[in-house]
Amino acid sequence: MSLFLLFFSAAIVNNFVLSYFLGICPFVGVSKKLTSAVSMGLAVTFVMLITAVVTWLIYHLILVPFDVVILQYVSFILVIASLVQLVEMFIRKVSKPLYDALGIFLPLITTNCAILGLALFSILRDYSFIESVVFGLGAGAGFTLALVIMAGIRESLELAPIPKYFQGAAITMIVAGSLALAFMGFAGMI
Amino acid sequence: MSKLPLSARMILVLTLITVLSGGILAAWDSYTKPKVEFHRLEALKAAIAEVLPAHDKYETRGSSVGNLYLASRADSDDLIGVAFMAVGSGFQGELRIMVGLTPDLSKITGIKVLEQIETPGLGTKIVVDPSNKQDPYWFPVQFKGVHTSPDMVVIKNAKPTHKHEVQGITGATISSQAVTRILNETIVGVKTAMTKHGGLES
Amino acid sequence: MSATTSLKFEFVKGLWKENPVMASLLGLCPTLAVTNAAVNGLAMGLATTFVLLTSSLIISALRNFIPHQVRIAGYIVIIATFVTVADRFLAAFFPDISATLGPYIPLIVVNCVILGRQEAFSSRNGIGRSMLDSLGMGIGFIAVLVTLGSIREILGSGSIFGFSVMGDWFTPWMVMILPPGAFLTLGILIALANWYNDPSRSKDKGVVS
Repeated sequence: MSLFLLFFSAAIVNNFVLSYFLGICPFVGVSKKLTSAVSMGLAVTFVMLITAVVTWLIYHLILVPFDVVILQYVSFILVIASLVQLVEMFIRKVSKPLYDALGIFLPLITTNCAILGLALFSILRDYSFIESVVFGLGAGAGFTLALVIMAGIRESLELAPIPKYFQGAAITMIVAGSLALAFMGFAGMI
Repeated sequence: MSKLPLSARMILVLTLITVLSGGILAAWDSYTKPKVEFHRLEALKAAIAEVLPAHDKYETRGSSVGNLYLASRADSDDLIGVAFMAVGSGFQGELRIMVGLTPDLSKITGIKVLEQIETPGLGTKIVVDPSNKQDPYWFPVQFKGVHTSPDMVVIKNAKPTHKHEVQGITGATISSQAVTRILNETIVGVKTAMTKHGGLES
Repeated sequence: MSATTSLKFEFVKGLWKENPVMASLLGLCPTLAVTNAAVNGLAMGLATTFVLLTSSLIISALRNFIPHQVRIAGYIVIIATFVTVADRFLAAFFPDISATLGPYIPLIVVNCVILGRQEAFSSRNGIGRSMLDSLGMGIGFIAVLVTLGSIREILGSGSIFGFSVMGDWFTPWMVMILPPGAFLTLGILIALANWYNDPSRSKDKGVVS
């Protein structure tokens, strides 16, 4: 698949959140305000990019040649945890207000299925190095897009009369379902 | 244990955990790896058996379009068919199709869609069509005997009249056309690999 | 607190009151992804429970030895080890299920339910209690996955665990086995749970359980 189609497919046609259910936890937790949604999306995209690079290198230069592919999950998650730690320290130094705004959700990027999912999918589909990078960018862009759209909708929902039992997580899920339905319309564009 | 400084304790415990983890996984790896490999080979053999006429053995050769499986009977080395995986974009995602060709590569002996994420009930008819009670596998089965040149074409709303034409699925044109497109593209590479002596990696 | 709560409570709380999905909204990724059929939900639930039990056992046993500062790294390695064991087990002995569940089994590594239980409970309690807690959470998780999977399978494929139950008159609701159906079904289930848990609905008002 051409690189452009790969990016487009990962970001829109097969959106990580709305088609593969990856990255739902922050999707529900961070998407209340537009500004924090954008920051979270960018932070995740950044981590995804570096993860794509590092995990590809580890898999093809270490795990496969030394026949220790069984260490895949342990090594990948350790890499992701360390990367998130580094990104956390970096953001704290560069922009304290941003660090405070993201709060607990920054270290929680470690347990974001989207990051590990990205690494696993790339290996599963046997992507080349460049393809993995583009795939990571597309996945991050798609995640940010879904998060931002969700935040926009939820900000408006604050003013709507939602039935008692649907308030909170229930209505969020239903909105997500409608979004997923809408995104299915993109199929066939690749 | 508590008399050691904190940094030493941290390193010691983490090292211990990692070594234990490595040990457990190494042991589990050697126990399970043969079984996993066995299943993989069985699945491959089954897929090849479905797209080629009866054979007893096959030889794997590399090529620019992936592995080629050259099948023959037990007593002779005469080629009775060539199988290969054709991969490409479908409507929703990637399609992986096992294809079988006659030894002269002029006709298809069978296809089997191994992986797809097409629209359930429409695009998935390239695998099986439950709405057609008499002939649910009509789409893949129709490829048997179809000519590979000129390029295969999908016919909509009418019956195919030429030997390189196949019937499309109503409501799933893109999925149907994706199959023929992927087949056409990959067969080009297969023909190159099989005719040029140097095209096959042994 | 934990010295006085009964062992039965440690087990039962995971089934409904502190159900990992319905009460805490944890582990949503696998919950939505593999519940397009009941049997897939069951397999994922069992694999997750296996990892919960084994990692709780080890982490609880080692809880006084792992320094606080490196506990998360330590837990992650232990959890990832057992997830690898479960994943390989399925690939070796149940290849069909392994192929269907695909990459979602290794994603158990980042399932917040597991890390959450280790951090909140197993790192502070004895082996027996931790195992009970994990068992309760695991069974609660399985229950949600199988329920969601059954609803989606019945409405989306007309079957349950592969057995056709709806008959020829029923046209399956295709959307149920697709992503939108997962979100919608879970949303409605959560709303139902909110209704069920509403304290103002209870006959004896003012009783906090």
